Amino acid sequence: MPYSILIVDDEPALQSMVCGLLLQAGYEVQSALSCAQALEQFTKKHPDAVLLDVMLPDGDGFTLFQQFQELQDIPVLFLSARDEEEAKLQGLGLGADDYITKPFLPQELLLRLRAVLRRSYRDEPAVVRLGETELNWGKGTIHRTGQEFALTAKEFALLKKLWDARGAIVTIDALCNALWDGPLIGYENTLMVHVRRLREKLEADPSHPKYLLTVRGLGYRLEREGKP
Amino acid sequence: MKFKTLWKGAVLVTASAALIAAISILGIVFFVFSSSVDSQNWGVPIHEISNALIWDGESYVLTEESLLEQNHWAMLIGESGQVVWSLYKPDEIPDQYTLSDVASFTRWYLHDYPVRCWVREDGLLVVGAPKGSVWKYDVAMQTQVLFRTPVWFLSLFLLSLVGVLGLSCLTVRRWFRQAQQIRDTARSNWINGISHDIRTPLSVVMGYAAQMELAPDLSPIYQKQASAIRSQSQVIRDLVNDLNLTMRLDCEMQPLRKENLQPTAFLRQVVADFLNGGMADGFDFSIDLPSSPLPDIKADPFLLRRAVNNLLINCVRHNAPGCTISLGAEAERNQLLFWIEGGATTQTIPSPSPRQLEPDGGAAHGTGLNLVVQIVAAHGGTVQFFTGSVFRCELRFPFVSHR
Repeated sequence: MPYSILIVDDEPALQSMVCGLLLQAGYEVQSALSCAQALEQFTKKHPDAVLLDVMLPDGDGFTLFQQFQELQDIPVLFLSARDEEEAKLQGLGLGADDYITKPFLPQELLLRLRAVLRRSYRDEPAVVRLGETELNWGKGTIHRTGQEFALTAKEFALLKKLWDARGAIVTIDALCNALWDGPLIGYENTLMVHVRRLREKLEADPSHPKYLLTVRGLGYRLEREGKP
Repeated sequence: MKFKTLWKGAVLVTASAALIAAISILGIVFFVFSSSVDSQNWGVPIHEISNALIWDGESYVLTEESLLEQNHWAMLIGESGQVVWSLYKPDEIPDQYTLSDVASFTRWYLHDYPVRCWVREDGLLVVGAPKGSVWKYDVAMQTQVLFRTPVWFLSLFLLSLVGVLGLSCLTVRRWFRQAQQIRDTARSNWINGISHDIRTPLSVVMGYAAQMELAPDLSPIYQKQASAIRSQSQVIRDLVNDLNLTMRLDCEMQPLRKENLQPTAFLRQVVADFLNGGMADGFDFSIDLPSSPLPDIKADPFLLRRAVNNLLINCVRHNAPGCTISLGAEAERNQLLFWIEGGATTQTIPSPSPRQLEPDGGAAHGTGLNLVVQIVAAHGGTVQFFTGSVFRCELRFPFVSHR
């Protein structure tokens, strides 16, 4: 069942554009032009997430967000023309899941919405595919060419971190933080060893990896479909 | 305009001070001259009293006693120093005087009684007033000192004037600062409002253009046109963002939230986010960061990220895809050196900073790099730009000192 998203923005042109974008991406969409309409839609339709403008004709988004939270704890992304750091901090400080500054690219909005929904509803299937390789999060194993490889705790954490950001570069600092809950200092070589061992399980040819790629000087990237 | 107003203010203050000084001096002089009298001529003139004192052949008689004011007294001292006549003379006043006694009381007091003296053919007439009723002061001054008096007055006046001018200057500067703050706030609010109002329509333009760019049923030429609209909208977006922030920094309205940052981790994350955003597709990136962590710097991560992003955007915008963009960081004495360069690898020469905002509408040009200069300056760092066929920029920040 598709997620239903409530868009609250007082600008009809923007609302229409975002509605079209979300419908095209397979979401169900409700819209509201004011706080009053938004509260009505919220209580009637019970959306899974809200895209919320900060400045509305009959109130402000921050107050509306708190009213939503009192009714039901669902993910909210602020979609605002206010780019001051204070506004972002206020929005995120209230507990919003993301703060997107206008103007934004459609792809950016979809990616961030998807990330928030994934984090909030944890609907990741237990078994996922990376090309010919099958990753079983439930069992912590990799299946490739009829063989099953068990992952160590660190390899699992490493692969999960890269999978969650697949397609994007994850810095070595972020990986060390995920694996050891601390900065890079002293762990860089250990990280390289874990990456090499993970490649041996993930890649058909670990010396010429297709999926787990090194971005020199920065970190690693897990390719979505594998490097040709 | 500012100098003219300051000059006017200074002239006004000087004129006021001079007027006050002149009136004060004139007032004092007038008061002294109008209130003081000849040291022998207070009350009824003593020569009148003397004229009224006559010898009738047997004794002295004051023909008009009314000339002697209330509580005043008089005596006549003969040639031998003996008092030959007196009227209402207090008991404590002696009847015999020596030359030195006379020399003393003629200038000062006689037993604390202020006295006046009048020389007559038959002696010295002395008229006394009640104790404490008259202040007598014998003024003597060297002539040279008297000649220097105007210089002293002028010096003191100039000293006071400097003080008054200094105080006035502080007050005027305060007024100027307040007026400037009001103007800055109005300007910043105006730009903030404009940039806010531009963002929503720009979202719609960018959103539809980006969708059309990927629409499979649109011909390649229209897709290309949509792509141009989308990319140019992004340029406007960056410009609006920069303009807003540059104004806030210019007016010192942007709060600095400084924290200790690990430079290598920070730079890796900023560059990774930039690349993940698809901003540099088609470019080769060469990153040269030391394997061991560099010391921390104290910086506002939001602002520093903006500065590095602007430099990356500048490299991407001014170079064709396929070009290599290099960046790196290293310790240089007690400073962090962060450098970025893009373009052909030839000798580069230092160039001045991008020009500042101009009031003639030229603000848009170079705003991105100007913002870099402002951000680095706000962190106590320095920027150096190099021009040539390769753009190179070096940023230097002080490391956090651990004592």
